[in-house]
Amino acid sequence: MAKLVGVFAASHAPLIIRGWKDVSAANQASLTRSLTELGGRIKAAKPDVLIEIAPDHWVNFFINNLPSICVGMGEEHEGPAEPWMKDCPYKTIKGHPKLAHHIVETALERDFEPSMSHHLTLDHGFCIPLWRGGLDPLPPIVPIIFNDLEPPYPTVRRCLQWGAMLSEAVRTYPEDIRVAILATGGLSHSIGEPTMGEIDEPFDRECIRHFENGDERKLVDFLNERLPTIGNGAAEIRNWVAAHGAADRRGFELIGYCNCPEVYVGCGFASWNLGARA
Amino acid sequence: MRDYWLSKLFFDLQSSPALGEEYRTGRKSILDRYPLKPEVRKAVERDDVVFLASRVNPYLLRFYFVVCGMPEAEFLKKVRNAGAESAARSSHG
Repeated sequence: MAKLVGVFAASHAPLIIRGWKDVSAANQASLTRSLTELGGRIKAAKPDVLIEIAPDHWVNFFINNLPSICVGMGEEHEGPAEPWMKDCPYKTIKGHPKLAHHIVETALERDFEPSMSHHLTLDHGFCIPLWRGGLDPLPPIVPIIFNDLEPPYPTVRRCLQWGAMLSEAVRTYPEDIRVAILATGGLSHSIGEPTMGEIDEPFDRECIRHFENGDERKLVDFLNERLPTIGNGAAEIRNWVAAHGAADRRGFELIGYCNCPEVYVGCGFASWNLGARA
Repeated sequence: MRDYWLSKLFFDLQSSPALGEEYRTGRKSILDRYPLKPEVRKAVERDDVVFLASRVNPYLLRFYFVVCGMPEAEFLKKVRNAGAESAARSSHG
């Protein structure tokens, strides 16, 4: 049977790539340290497949057909299409259709109804943490897109449940493979709104404390209350919540946090110690 | 509220570098392809960030003005003023 060997989370601010020269030396050092550590931990987990949860930044979907959650079933995915991601080494990215199929089957069995795609383009949200984390070559990836961009969003509680279901799907996959999960996005930021550029570090710190404490109800209540009051980019924390659910809500460890106004994002990086499971 | 055809225009422009380049060269021929309401088209033509912000997803708004080549500082100033301006416009009916 497959084994879940690592659960991770990372921010994916585009300006880490296209505005890097304008980032202060101290913040460059902080982001580089965190991304390198994240990449090192993913590599150390030796995953045969990586399930990656990220939003779609208007690359695959539009408002004429906008799934809440979509699983990438393809044998191959396209690398990022953004012109400023042209130096990214991932032009095509191998998928893992059999695990993706099993995830969808498990989801349906558990009363989730995800959308499916047999050909996705993986934008900067998927690729920046992997690229800057030094993952080259990549393991095959099963991408899962959460709608974190256009309200109404999946509920925080549902994202937690999705994570738990993903963990079950991995555990019940019949092949003897190692699987890791990486969720990307967040923490606080605001894009294209009057609050654009504002980072709410107290919110980010409190959010991190809730992940560390592991109390599901407090985390869900906190996010339900606060997410609607801060920048739209924080909606992506839902992906972290799914990772938290996959890790059975235990073992959160902050790798690094950088309040980085040059990239408009409170950047967080984390992993879950799966040995902390009761 | 989302304006579908305005959103579609912004989506198409950020999806295709060639279309974006054509748009920067001359907007009219591309705008003619979308059934925009007259007041929406006028807002596009005068870069009325406040008006447009209330009708499209904020990420698409940002991507659109990147495609248009609006300097970052100018976009930030306009979008940050959008909240106050929007409130002022609605208070004047």
